Amino acid sequence: MADRKSYDVVVLGGGVNGAGTARDCAMRGLSVLLLEKRDLASGASGASSGMIHGGIRYMLSDRKVTELACRDAGYIRRIAPHLVFRIPFLMPFASRAEEASLAERAAWYATEVYVGTYDLYQPLKGGKPSTRLTPAEMYALEPSLRPGLGGAVTLDEWGIDGQRLCLLNALSAEAHGAEVRTWTEATELVREGGRAVAVRWRDLVTGEHGEARAGAVLNATGAWSPHWGRLNGVEVPMRPGKGVHLSLDRRFSNYGIICRAVDGRQMFLMPHEDESIIGTTDDDFYGDPDDLEATSDEVAYLLEGVESLVPSVRRARVTRAWSGVRTTLYEYGKTEDALSREHQLLDHAPEGAEGLFSFVGGKLASYRAQSEEITDRLLSFLGKAPRPCRTHEEPLPGGDAVADAHELARRHGVGEGAVRRLVYRHGSRAREVLLLADDDPRLKLVVCRDEGILAAEVVFIARHEKVRRLEDLRRRCRLGIAGCGGLDCARLGAQLVAHELDWDGDRLRAELHQLLEVNWRERRAVLDGFQLSQEELLRAVHRGLGEV
Amino acid sequence: MAEEAAPILCDVLVVGGGMAGAIAALAARDAGARVVLVRRAPGSTGLSGGAISVAHDPSALPEVPFAGRAGVVESARRVAATVAGHPYQVLRDSLDRLWNAVEFASGQLSHVLAPPTGRNRWLLTPFGKVHPAATCQRSMVAGDLAEARGRMAVVAARGHLWWDAGLVASGAARARHLGAPEVQVALLDLFMWEEAALARPVDLARLLEAPGAAEQVGELLAERLPRGSTVALFPPVLGLTPEARVAERIEGRAGIPVAEFLSDVPSVPGLRLQRAIDLRLGAAGVEVLRGEVREASALALEARVGGRKVVAKSWVLATGRFAGGGIARRGELVEPALGLPVLASEGPFAEAGARLAARSPWALTVRDSRSPQPLLSAGLKVDGELRPLDAEGRVVNPRLFAAGAVVGGHDQASDGTGMGVAIFTGWLAGRAAAGVARAQRALPGVG
Repeated sequence: MADRKSYDVVVLGGGVNGAGTARDCAMRGLSVLLLEKRDLASGASGASSGMIHGGIRYMLSDRKVTELACRDAGYIRRIAPHLVFRIPFLMPFASRAEEASLAERAAWYATEVYVGTYDLYQPLKGGKPSTRLTPAEMYALEPSLRPGLGGAVTLDEWGIDGQRLCLLNALSAEAHGAEVRTWTEATELVREGGRAVAVRWRDLVTGEHGEARAGAVLNATGAWSPHWGRLNGVEVPMRPGKGVHLSLDRRFSNYGIICRAVDGRQMFLMPHEDESIIGTTDDDFYGDPDDLEATSDEVAYLLEGVESLVPSVRRARVTRAWSGVRTTLYEYGKTEDALSREHQLLDHAPEGAEGLFSFVGGKLASYRAQSEEITDRLLSFLGKAPRPCRTHEEPLPGGDAVADAHELARRHGVGEGAVRRLVYRHGSRAREVLLLADDDPRLKLVVCRDEGILAAEVVFIARHEKVRRLEDLRRRCRLGIAGCGGLDCARLGAQLVAHELDWDGDRLRAELHQLLEVNWRERRAVLDGFQLSQEELLRAVHRGLGEV
Repeated sequence: MAEEAAPILCDVLVVGGGMAGAIAALAARDAGARVVLVRRAPGSTGLSGGAISVAHDPSALPEVPFAGRAGVVESARRVAATVAGHPYQVLRDSLDRLWNAVEFASGQLSHVLAPPTGRNRWLLTPFGKVHPAATCQRSMVAGDLAEARGRMAVVAARGHLWWDAGLVASGAARARHLGAPEVQVALLDLFMWEEAALARPVDLARLLEAPGAAEQVGELLAERLPRGSTVALFPPVLGLTPEARVAERIEGRAGIPVAEFLSDVPSVPGLRLQRAIDLRLGAAGVEVLRGEVREASALALEARVGGRKVVAKSWVLATGRFAGGGIARRGELVEPALGLPVLASEGPFAEAGARLAARSPWALTVRDSRSPQPLLSAGLKVDGELRPLDAEGRVVNPRLFAAGAVVGGHDQASDGTGMGVAIFTGWLAGRAAAGVARAQRALPGVG
């Protein structure tokens, strides 16, 4: 018997906009179902640069984007303080003052004015104003920069774990009564008399299916929207762009560094959580978003760009290359970088699907404001009384207080390094994780030493964080994605999850295979140096012994 | 200028101290040569799981019972016939001596390795899979699913999370129709000490070596094991050293045979094997130098180790693959010790030759990780006598041999022939190198 229920709103897509909108709708009293065909944050939201930057890049073209982004960055710091961390950036000047040409001097001046203008927005997001560094000051902060640079200006930005941000929005939506189904595909839009009235879905893990009657349907499937639209008879114009990032095995520089790629594009090397990230490419993408991989030439392009300022990056160990597809608004005749990061809510009523809306464009940093705008629109479409948005006031789960890692480590007898990571990921809920370990000391075992993942954290996540597949742990606590590639942690993590979710041996091995396969695809393009040695060990264990 | 230390003179220099290098050194020693072995650090042998996998039949259907499977040498012949570029194919004319090599290796390392029978043993892995091996460590023999009778109890330790006995047992249950015994999980109050809960496998192995610890475990087994159990299968932590006799001590009290299942990484059995190799090298009179080979020349066959010049009549290069450091990729594929060309791979790149080294990782890998991966099987190309070849197919130096994973053409990490290739090529190369040295000595004015 198929499942049949009615909702005010059915949201398609568990990225940051889908999850954020589900949360806002639920908080404003609507009944909500969110359908995500894979896991939360498995598309562009999970493959973003992991920043809620204020969008300085867009200041010249879209000052509105910059202001919106800065204001919302401030709100995100308020609702998830544990998940947000400061990343100071350096924008080095390419030559020394005494050798600088007139054009270079003009460029410096322009940069200072530019950054100075950005400073006007910094208070909105709690950022620090920029400073001008002399060469000596700059090299003292960042000795890995190549010699001969003329100093730098600083720029303050915020980093975030975009994957957990999506999860926390989904958890909060559920706490407010929404229903969130991951690994559940929206197979078909049902229309009656020019209206979108229901969505048929299928659970890809259990095979269950159902039909959800809907007052309104929000298509927030990102890069999948054009395809999903075509299948259901509506058009979602978009200019998708592929973005590739590289992860290094450690924090390679002290500060974020803004560099220029061979084609003059701006890119960066930045410390982020326990690693460094290099990003990003931006190329029109005509492929299948389900079939996305970085290639060795994209890796070479990114390394070359950073090498221009940080030559030693050639010796860095690249642990993976990961990619996502941006959903920029459609325009013909512009280069990828020049495309607007503005967003749009498309109303498909003229196409005979009244009540179906598609969200296109936007930025991670502005997800909350975007979600608010969408929810306002849905409320008015549904003819509901307007209720004020509170998503910028009510903390996300774990965001109500910042836990003291040092004190928790002492009280629960767990290494402080691991507790710091735990507090970063779970905020005030870290306490609940550690209580599990108090009850069962075996759960104090560190499953992954790179990421500081405790066995207790894996158990907590399996119980409380919407885990349906083992690979979901990649996004919950970065299981298996550090330099070791899962050599230490994958089997142990799988055993813990299997125990919680009652998987038998065959299911466990199938889940392990899926996790390792996803990891493999992110490493194919970067196998060099020590990472290749590691690959050999991984292969010996997982293919040789595991045959998984 | 400091006075130059006297050069080290020997018949055979072996570079690399894993399984391939050790067997080469022992085989050359056995043939009467004076052997020096240089090693930098433990490599993949120290990380191996306890199985000595030589070959399993690539054409066997999964439903054929263990007893009906092809023997080890026949399996190797089938690998040689089907896998383009595999060392067994390159050495197909010598495969009738594969068994001599396996017996030599297990004889030399007989205090850790069980005597081989000619058939594969079928051993459980921590993933609950069944893995074939020509032989294995002595502490694993009783866990051979093809031989074990009665009821096997997989021991689950209440105090530790590292292994999941249910997962291990699920593998044996799936192999019932192939001839595996009945299995059940026996949950015991093992590793209940406070320090054990957070210990890693190596720490647990040390804990069990302590006087009285293994005996206590044996008594626990005698008391608590389900009735009718005929063998107890443990996680692979039964002591770091064979001399600690942990398995025997447990058996003495438990009254039934005890075995370990295979290990993943970190591997106690791997460390145990590496230790046994080191002891055997010393006992056989192989001179072992710790250090890196520098300023080595493939043409002159001279090098420096720790500042001293080493002069040998012949060389065996047994430096391993990527984990061992014998082959590396630094922008392109290289052989760091002698600068030999990396020309061999398998599958679509079996004949890639000189074009192989500079190809991108993307081009040398296949999307499905289960497929053979040309990048992971890259290494030296050798002739039928294990002499490395250059891009034109010429022997680089008739006194230079290669053995083990530095030889390319097989995905030694995963194709179930890694240890077999190490032993076979080590044995052949060691004997050949000793032969060359002998011939050199016989020449007037040389040596």
